[in-house]
Amino acid sequence: MNSSLDSTDTGQTPLHLTPGHWLWRSTTRHWSLLINKRSIVVNATLTLILLACALSSLALGTLSITIPDVILALQGKGTTMHTFVLEELRGPRLLAGALAGASFALAGCLMQTLARNRLATPGIIGIDNAATAFAVASVVGVGISAAPHTMALVGAAVATALAFGLAGATGTRGYRFIIAGLAIGAVSGAITQVMLSSVALDDANAAYPWTVGSLNARAPAAVNALIIGLIVGYTLSLFLNRALATLQLPEPVTASLGTRSGRVRVAGLILSVLLTGLAVSVAGPVGLIALLGPELARTISRPGSIPLTASALSGAILMVLSDLAGRLVFSPLEIPVGIIAALAGSPYLLWILLHKSPDINR
Amino acid sequence: MKTYRNYVATWVMLFLACLASLLFGAGTLELGQAFAVLTGQGTEDARFVVMELRLPRLVIGMATGLALGVAGALLQTLTRNPLAEPGLLGVSAGSAFAVSLAILLGASTATLTTLISQVGALAGCGLVVAATRIQGAGQDPVRLVLAGATLTGLLLSLSSLLMLIDQRAADEIRFWITGSLAGKRWDQLTATMPSLLLAGAIVVGVARPLASLALGEKVAMGLGHKPGLIRLMVIVAVALLVGGATALAGPLVFVGLVVPFVARSLAGADIRKTLWLCLPIGPAMIIAADTLSRLLVTPSEMPLGVITAVIGAPVLMVIIRARRIPAL
Repeated sequence: MNSSLDSTDTGQTPLHLTPGHWLWRSTTRHWSLLINKRSIVVNATLTLILLACALSSLALGTLSITIPDVILALQGKGTTMHTFVLEELRGPRLLAGALAGASFALAGCLMQTLARNRLATPGIIGIDNAATAFAVASVVGVGISAAPHTMALVGAAVATALAFGLAGATGTRGYRFIIAGLAIGAVSGAITQVMLSSVALDDANAAYPWTVGSLNARAPAAVNALIIGLIVGYTLSLFLNRALATLQLPEPVTASLGTRSGRVRVAGLILSVLLTGLAVSVAGPVGLIALLGPELARTISRPGSIPLTASALSGAILMVLSDLAGRLVFSPLEIPVGIIAALAGSPYLLWILLHKSPDINR
Repeated sequence: MKTYRNYVATWVMLFLACLASLLFGAGTLELGQAFAVLTGQGTEDARFVVMELRLPRLVIGMATGLALGVAGALLQTLTRNPLAEPGLLGVSAGSAFAVSLAILLGASTATLTTLISQVGALAGCGLVVAATRIQGAGQDPVRLVLAGATLTGLLLSLSSLLMLIDQRAADEIRFWITGSLAGKRWDQLTATMPSLLLAGAIVVGVARPLASLALGEKVAMGLGHKPGLIRLMVIVAVALLVGGATALAGPLVFVGLVVPFVARSLAGADIRKTLWLCLPIGPAMIIAADTLSRLLVTPSEMPLGVITAVIGAPVLMVIIRARRIPAL
């Protein structure tokens, strides 16, 4: 994205300082647009990969449909059977998965950037678990009647507020915050288990896939809320992008560039919590997507940039792929997407923890 | 004089917790009735409640608390990390996964489960100690805890995968994995007892060398101890203790954090004094938590693991909020 700091509006744009960019200027020279070539290439590639994954996800399953048939059915010319499978079963599921994955990864990228720590993702600091606990409370009906996705949002907000309150301050590199979140996550997980063990066995079995993260139990209302939330959240995060980039610089430099770091932090955190809460209400706690998506995006993006778009795309790809794998590997038995993500992501997370620096810029 | 007072106070606490555990529950017994049963009299009903329901539970709770508290103290001293807790670091999850696998494959005898659980704990414990030997990350308490949390998550996901395969096993695993003392019988304790006694013997032998290892590897070698051997013995002891406790009560998080934390704040840094204090504090915590779990939602029960998590999380925060994480 156009996060370069060197395009000051002196009228004399230092072209030699921006190699690898396309510069577009309006004829009146009042404003200009600086586009990074690598970002374009990366995002275009990721979009193509996402489309390919989406097509495979539509085509593969218990009933395999060939790609041409899928395209025919999407145009409304397929058989009734194919149209039913695509429009009623796989299409909505794909949409929910891609959106949830994008939200998780975008939220993760924002939070990692704010904390300058790649471990600071919503899942690790317990927001996922808390959102799940609140949503389960609403499902099993413990005295609360709000819709699950509203409760998930409330849970995410409560967990964040608690983590901040308990940690006192963010501290150096946010470690206190992370451990506070770990404790909150543990208690929330325990509370979820209490609620599940106190309801009837059938209800517990029904709610179980959802508590490990699954695209089976999504509610249409939650998906709609997620669509709106993701559009709003993504747009706002693009506006934050430049300020976030300056936050990576030492504090005095940030201040002298005119960034109000306090406000940016609060705004970024609110966005991150909002996106996580909405995504949890659709897919359950698939927290590792929030770690893996941005990680993948950072690996392929321009060094030093904040790959918000690439993170969202990577998250969507990973989610769709995990769900597809979960549906295919032990077919007809279906493995919840959260388990697949955990199996694939945990070893990588362990490797980061033990071998890499947690600082995202290294 | 002060330490003497601490010992008396903690043992009195344990005694009170035991009394409460025998007296309170779904049907409350009179103090006199309970004593009558313990001295060999009492009504048939009271006798059944105390001897068949509450006493096994009390004794198993004591064994579990003792094992987890001592294991936590050992692991924390060995890794020099006040946050090193078997539950947080994935040792319990290792044995939980092993037991889930065994349940799925049809294991039912208590002896087999104990052994499998201890093998799983040994693997988990070995991984943890190997991780602490890595330069950089291993010295950072918080990163180690996060790595442990990740390992726990991975193993729990694998266990969930097993639960998907078989519904019958799933019910059994789900009940066991929250951690509970409900419905435990004497034969489960007798199956676990030999290994716990063995672990106890190892701890008695290794306490003194471990205290010297806490002063530094060179000091320990200068005093004629072998650091590698001490490390190995401690790992084996921790695996036996955690595996045994997990087989008895399921994976309980935070017990191994809270008990040594309290003991250390009473006794100071010496591992031998800490271990002495863990003896009453560990059982007292589990028994108090278990009694609470019966009382909070009578006539049904809260899972014990939930109570220990709710007690333990604030203690974790207290340790983290200390100005700096105290080095061991």
